[in-house]
Amino acid sequence: MENIKNKIKVLKNNFDEGLVQIKDEESLKELRNRYLSRKKGRITLLLKELKNVSPGERPEIGKQINELKDYVQKKLEEHSKELQEPKYIKSKIDLTLPGKRRYRGAPHPILLYKKKIEQIFVLMGFSIEDGPEIETDYYNFGALNFPPHHPARDDWDTLYINDDLLLRTHTSPVQIRVMEKKKPPIRMINPGKVYRRETPDPTHIPMFFQVEGLVVDLGITFAHLKGTLECFLKALYNEKIKIRFRPSFFPFTEPSAEVDIVCTVCGGKDLNCRVCGGSGWIEILGAGMVDPQVLKNVNIDPEKYSGFAFGMGIDRTAMFSFRIPDLRNFYENDLRFIRQFS
Amino acid sequence: MKISINWLKQYLNIKLSPEKLIEEMNNIGLLVDHWEEQDGDVILELETYANRPDTLGHLGVAREIAACLGISLTERKFPLIESTEEISDAFDVQVLEVDLSPRYCGMIVKDFPVDPSPPWLMRMIRAMGLSPVNNVVDITNYVLFSTAQPIHAFDLNRLKGNKILVRKARKGEELKALTGDTISLTNEMLVIADDKRPVALAGVIGGEETAVTEETRNIFIESACFDPVSIRKTWKKIGIQTDASYRFERGTDISFPPEAARMTASLLTQIGGKALKGMIDIYPKPRKKKTVVLRHHRVSELLGIEIEEGFIIDFLKRIGFELENQREGIWRVKVPYFRVDIDREADLIEEIARFYGYDKIPSHIPVLQGIDLEVNKKKEVEDNIRELLFHEGFDEVVNFSFMDSEKEKLFETGLEAVEIRNPISSKASLLRTTLIEGLLGNIAWNVNRGAEGVHVFEIGNVFFQKDGKCFERYFLGFAGMGQLDPVFWQEEPEKSDFFHLKGTCEELLRYLKFDDFSFSREEHPFFEKNYSLCLRFKGEKIGNLGGVRESIVEAYSIQEPVWAAEINLGSLLEKQPKPFKYSPVSRYPGIVRDISFMADQDVSYQEIKNCIEKLNIPYLEDYVLYDRFVGEGISKDKVSLSFRFVFRHPERTLLAEEADSFQEKIIKTLSTEFRLNLRGGGQD
Repeated sequence: MENIKNKIKVLKNNFDEGLVQIKDEESLKELRNRYLSRKKGRITLLLKELKNVSPGERPEIGKQINELKDYVQKKLEEHSKELQEPKYIKSKIDLTLPGKRRYRGAPHPILLYKKKIEQIFVLMGFSIEDGPEIETDYYNFGALNFPPHHPARDDWDTLYINDDLLLRTHTSPVQIRVMEKKKPPIRMINPGKVYRRETPDPTHIPMFFQVEGLVVDLGITFAHLKGTLECFLKALYNEKIKIRFRPSFFPFTEPSAEVDIVCTVCGGKDLNCRVCGGSGWIEILGAGMVDPQVLKNVNIDPEKYSGFAFGMGIDRTAMFSFRIPDLRNFYENDLRFIRQFS
Repeated sequence: MKISINWLKQYLNIKLSPEKLIEEMNNIGLLVDHWEEQDGDVILELETYANRPDTLGHLGVAREIAACLGISLTERKFPLIESTEEISDAFDVQVLEVDLSPRYCGMIVKDFPVDPSPPWLMRMIRAMGLSPVNNVVDITNYVLFSTAQPIHAFDLNRLKGNKILVRKARKGEELKALTGDTISLTNEMLVIADDKRPVALAGVIGGEETAVTEETRNIFIESACFDPVSIRKTWKKIGIQTDASYRFERGTDISFPPEAARMTASLLTQIGGKALKGMIDIYPKPRKKKTVVLRHHRVSELLGIEIEEGFIIDFLKRIGFELENQREGIWRVKVPYFRVDIDREADLIEEIARFYGYDKIPSHIPVLQGIDLEVNKKKEVEDNIRELLFHEGFDEVVNFSFMDSEKEKLFETGLEAVEIRNPISSKASLLRTTLIEGLLGNIAWNVNRGAEGVHVFEIGNVFFQKDGKCFERYFLGFAGMGQLDPVFWQEEPEKSDFFHLKGTCEELLRYLKFDDFSFSREEHPFFEKNYSLCLRFKGEKIGNLGGVRESIVEAYSIQEPVWAAEINLGSLLEKQPKPFKYSPVSRYPGIVRDISFMADQDVSYQEIKNCIEKLNIPYLEDYVLYDRFVGEGISKDKVSLSFRFVFRHPERTLLAEEADSFQEKIIKTLSTEFRLNLRGGGQD
């Protein structure tokens, strides 16, 4: 009795060992015949031995043999599937060949940088405004507290169309236009192209991008100007950036300030640094409290409301951030340059 | 402007290192760009501000530093060696234009030996970056750089009639200036004249004929105050800016001319000669000091920090202001004459902040007041366009808004370009009328540098004028040429063609939800004849696309066809995009019918499309042209067009008979409208 039980065990082991060796359909067929052939299959022969088993044990042994048969059949079927070629993915190819790529366009670095700046201000609750590039003398100068024939105008070298029309030299006219239409509270930035009569060289170009901002409300102070700009600069650069505010002059703000950051290239450590000229600081923003005359010009009462304004050149800032030596690189539109920013 | 530390030391007793001094100066708004050591001196390059003419001399700068450090200015003495002759007996000055010349002082030094300057003076002049001329010219410059008061010295003997008239120039008068130029004078210009002729352009430049030379013995010293606007207009007109006009146009200290005249005369007589007794000082309308009311509470309201009364009073006094307490916390502040920039309370608050220190003002984030949230639609659309075009493989460019007039002619836009009156160069004398010009330039640049394919876009303004008015329009332009994707080893790289460009246009409008677009054939100046379409939204023209004219492409030395489109985003943005509306997805099977037609070659797809859409077939979910065939087996003037129609009912299974009737209707209408015939075997 033990004998036949043992035979079942051995047969199963033999089959498993045999199956592992099988690498093609032909040998699989042979294996099937060896175990399941109707005449001489080993399992068939084992079933024939069943009659020699005592009737009491016969159902138990019979069950074991049938289980073995099912097992073998199942295994053979599975193995047969494994040997078959896949239906959909067949070919044998060097999968390390280069992949097929689709080209995706790259943003212009200045507009990429502009967007980064805009996003910070949008998070701080500023709206984004714009206005025309051809401006009148009034919006570009007069309303911003530049008296006619004042030498301050010389600091904004202007391209004129006629006596009254010009290409805006800063985006500040947009602030005037918005203040004419909206009442405080106002919290806006106005990015855009501006023009100066400058012959192109590594640090001057006749057209560039600026972003300016304006906050007008009850109780706005110089401390708010500092807080807002520090918050912005930390978001743009990093939390640890060193920032300095120093007095300056703009006709449209009073008090006025210029904001410097520690040189992004030498960190203030190189006396011969080409970027900061050895001073250790680079000028990054102009700012100030909105001049009371500017508020009067747009019928906002400077006794009741106050505000601050600021402006920065996007090109210049991007130049420092990306460490690009020459502003003209931005306007050559060489794809080898632009595509680095994708 | 250049500031010499040795020179400052004539006014200040300071022992700071240059670095420390520069830091202190920066803190109060005197920005030193850079500095260098020179002949035992340190020269600072100081940034100048248009509103602070008082700092255009060493005295003014010293005054600021003294206030900052809390020290007093060293008093300088200018003793005179005088003769017994009275100036009023020897010379006469008449000011005819008091508004343009509110104060005019004169002194005379006689028997002066004109020679090279003494070494100390030469050093000072060189420190200012100038070359010494002679002791007279150098002394006038020394006074100017010391005090910011311009001085002019005339050769007294060459002034006709012992007389000076300050008057406007007369028509036809000329002046031979010190520069050698002969200047034609106009009657708005203020001149200094003698009995016969103008001898100097007031406050701008002196005349050659009365200049001090080696032969000069007697000198008339002019120390005056002129109207800034008049000076500015004059120098702008003649195009000569001098150290004098630079100061006068910014405004000078009206109280100072006598002191500057005396200083000049003193310095001269210390070298030689004698000054005549007395001084001519014509100041018919003496000015009072400006007064500004300062309220203590406004200081903290504007700066965001409480600053003590004691500090305010102390610092304003240190920089020359006089304070008179009116009421608790309110002062009447008298402004010193040298501060021409101070007019209002805010100006005084800036002074307080400057000396208090910007770094000591705290940083606060303003509490946000409610503001209506406004989404900037233009921005949103712009971002969507960029997103889509990046996806379509276009790189973004930014070109200057200027255009070469030669290029403008080549493009024949038919628009009148806006001209810049003072352009940087003739190649940038117009404002661009199209974005395509710049894009072609970008393609050429990159092809010349080895690019196999260039696809670029730009969003920006184009400009034109009409009936004397200038306009700017917000446009999108894109253009492409050559290979689309990176090279792949398995197949030839795909190149862009007209339908790539058109597909981009279609996808763009669909993406922006302006689905009601259509195309019609229209000739366009940039595009090749018969290769140009007009893009319309709800019938209104919003753009053009096509193959760029060969003569243009060749002008840029590009050897392959360039496909370009230009869309007027400004007008598109005025339209309403289709509001988004969700529609449920039908769970019922659709019925697909493929129909092939034979059509005359001149029937356009857009016409067929319009016709199908007008039919308003119910349950027509979608249709697409999936094949177009000409050639073998088809007569020459015909084309085979195969459409696939998908019909589906949202709430039940559509019946085959229903689809049959729709199909019937389509076939019947197209056959009669366009003489289309069913193609054998095409029907499914």
